[in-house]
Amino acid sequence: MTLLGFSSYLIALGTMSGIYALLCLGLNLQWGFAGLFNAGIAAFFAIGAYVAAILASADSAVHLGGFGLPVALAWPVAMAAAGALAWVIGRICLTLQGDYLAMASIGIAEVLRIIIKNEEWLTGGTRGIAAIPRPFETLLPAPWNNLAFLGLIVVLVAIVYLAAERAWASPWGRSLRAIRDSDVAAAAIGKNVAQFRLEAFVLGAMVMALAGALSAHYFKFLGTTAIEPLMVTFLVWVMLIVGGSGNNRGAILGAMLIWLIWSATELLTNRLPAEWITRSSYIRVLLIGLLLQVVLQKFGKGLLPEKPPRLVGERRETR
Amino acid sequence: MAALSDFINLYLLPGLVVGCIYALGAIGISLLFGILRFAHFAHGDMMTLGAYLAIIFTASWGWSPYAALPVAVIGAAIVALGLDRAFYKPFRRAPGIVSVIASFGVMLMLRSAIQLIWGVDVKTYDIGIRFPMEFGLLKIAPRQVTIVLVTAALVVALHLFLTRTRLGKAMRAVSDDADLARVSGINVEQVIRWTWIIGAGLAAAGGVFIGIQTKVHPNMGWDLLLPLFAAAVLGGIGRPYGAVAGGLAIGLAQELATYRWFSDEPFVDPGYKPAVAFSVMVVMLIWRPTGLFKGRS
Amino acid sequence: MSLLSVENLVAGYGPVDILQGVNLTVEAGRIAVIVGPNGAGKSTAMKAIFGLAQVRGGRVLFEGQEITRLPADTLCGRGIAYVPQERNVFRSLSVRENLEMGAFLKPGNIARRIAEVLTLFPPLREKLAQAAGELSGGQRQMVAMGRALMLEPKLLMLDEPTAGLSPLYMDQIFDRIIAVNKSGVGVLLVEQNAKQALAIAHTGYVLATGRNRFTDTAANLLANREVAESFLGG
Repeated sequence: MTLLGFSSYLIALGTMSGIYALLCLGLNLQWGFAGLFNAGIAAFFAIGAYVAAILASADSAVHLGGFGLPVALAWPVAMAAAGALAWVIGRICLTLQGDYLAMASIGIAEVLRIIIKNEEWLTGGTRGIAAIPRPFETLLPAPWNNLAFLGLIVVLVAIVYLAAERAWASPWGRSLRAIRDSDVAAAAIGKNVAQFRLEAFVLGAMVMALAGALSAHYFKFLGTTAIEPLMVTFLVWVMLIVGGSGNNRGAILGAMLIWLIWSATELLTNRLPAEWITRSSYIRVLLIGLLLQVVLQKFGKGLLPEKPPRLVGERRETR
Repeated sequence: MAALSDFINLYLLPGLVVGCIYALGAIGISLLFGILRFAHFAHGDMMTLGAYLAIIFTASWGWSPYAALPVAVIGAAIVALGLDRAFYKPFRRAPGIVSVIASFGVMLMLRSAIQLIWGVDVKTYDIGIRFPMEFGLLKIAPRQVTIVLVTAALVVALHLFLTRTRLGKAMRAVSDDADLARVSGINVEQVIRWTWIIGAGLAAAGGVFIGIQTKVHPNMGWDLLLPLFAAAVLGGIGRPYGAVAGGLAIGLAQELATYRWFSDEPFVDPGYKPAVAFSVMVVMLIWRPTGLFKGRS
Repeated sequence: MSLLSVENLVAGYGPVDILQGVNLTVEAGRIAVIVGPNGAGKSTAMKAIFGLAQVRGGRVLFEGQEITRLPADTLCGRGIAYVPQERNVFRSLSVRENLEMGAFLKPGNIARRIAEVLTLFPPLREKLAQAAGELSGGQRQMVAMGRALMLEPKLLMLDEPTAGLSPLYMDQIFDRIIAVNKSGVGVLLVEQNAKQALAIAHTGYVLATGRNRFTDTAANLLANREVAESFLGG
């Protein structure tokens, strides 16, 4: 592999890790902070991806729009749309606990996938949305444009991470954890359980939508295969469990580690005989499933377990 | 008259058959929830496994799928016992949600193993073409009769097991109160093993029926998951008889929703059939999470 | 050799020790009762014997053999039956099925044993087909005791069998405990209704804050003024 090839591989690796890190941080807000079992990550990812793609891509005959809007406008709208959907879903479903919320959220994601598949006028159906502009691609020559896009993702991950860390240590995060650990006790001391849950759910969904928007602009094409539950819901769950739920650094570490394993094994399996290459992706899924089991049984709290935060007020009080 | 015969032959009967298949899967989800207190997300893939185990015998030795069915049932039960030992037993005392996450992993592993062994192509059992039997308006394919009758027989057998045998009663006792069962001297692990055997066995039978009715592909377990959960929730999760009723209701609702009720167009586009199951499930979860019938608390 | 002896038992839930070294014995064919104020650890003692609370020190002997930390079904197999205070029947199962579940470990001769239980608890006779959850509190307690007796135990452990019952049922239950004991079964009883319980018992243990306060024959405890004033409500 040439140096250029290797560096562009690294850029691609970093870009995807960053997108998954955002998904994991979003899931951590919902599951790690608030104990909300969202098994429909793909739904919010898809809303983010499709809204951004329809708004930002050039006018097309095969789907709604595109409206050719700048990404600086398209992405926030995409996040807001996912937030609004999450608010509606949350108002209806967040009274459900554990397994029931998992069933409901998996169902929402599936129905959304069916809509996206069937409503060609809106989403292009299985033909998808093509020619989605990637930021920096006309401003800079390759590979600098890709590097700049990676830089943007790193900045976004950093912003979300810092915000999530602040939230974790804030009274808001503390209340969420109290609710997560015992909603009865939290309600008894006067916490508005439903409101806190809803906020965590909406914020997490917005972060997932940002990841979806970034992914659409990165691949420049968006079809139904991009929102498969395997890659967008279950892989993210594996990442967060492996990294350590309830720990924002764990979420990022899990995303990077699992994506590294996922893509590095692809490099390896591509050297297999031709008849095995088609099957290699199944071996990888099998191994990822096994890895999840091993981590669950041997490191139940993940590689970076949850830690109670240093209290925000602590420093001020000691001064 | 042609319209009525269309309605019965193209919507009602297929709905009944699909309902039987859903019922077989939903029973397992409901039993497992009652005993182990977690929603088994890999249950659709247990059905896929059953369907593919039967293919070994239909494809290699030219068995009839009906002959392969018992073998597939036994095979799936054995696999389920192994999966339980390896991936669920360590979490018996952990919160149920940990087992749900483990079942995500099992789901990924089962599906990828099936894709690895049998490939990703759609497969069918070679059962040849058999002409439907005509009774006046009714046009019934022999396989439809078989599926409904065998399902009915399995449900009756399950009922007898749960109400007449020591182990079946113990299963209801554990579902009622696992702690009390333990201190009463009931061997809870033995009950759990039999729950897996029955749940996976019925799921495998349902999977083979899907192959007999239409075709088999590795992702079908995922597509089944939503209607299975909907059926279990509709019947009141933890209640096996409710799951049977729920399965039939969801199967019929999915097929009948695509009928031309109010115009010449299908009321619900056939592409949106899974959304019917989902809508029923969400309405139930919010309106009556314990199921249509008097549910467990 | 005592039927059951508990030596220096330290036990609790999670990080909290509730029992701080408790001793008690039950002789074969006798009734021993544990009384004491709320939070004294009465129920915990019973749960620890049956492996439902964490045992962190001391040991439990049954017929001279150590049974500390053994799983519940092993204890049932040895001949110890336990009736928890709450949720002590399978609500959706019929009364007959509840009794059959008590015999899970000993499946032979079920009909004879059900007949014996019905002789002991005649009111259950006409409720056999009814779901246990539909019965009154007193009848549920009878089902729970009946289920435990289906094991033909040597020791019956009852955790507050009269809690929440009307005085009429309370007398009936105490009466039945005596009858069970007359058939040769040793009984360990935890009770809030201390006076009545001591009246039917041979030995009594007064626990307070996780320790033995008084240990004597039941008659002596009833006669003891200090016990009466502090623990039996004057």
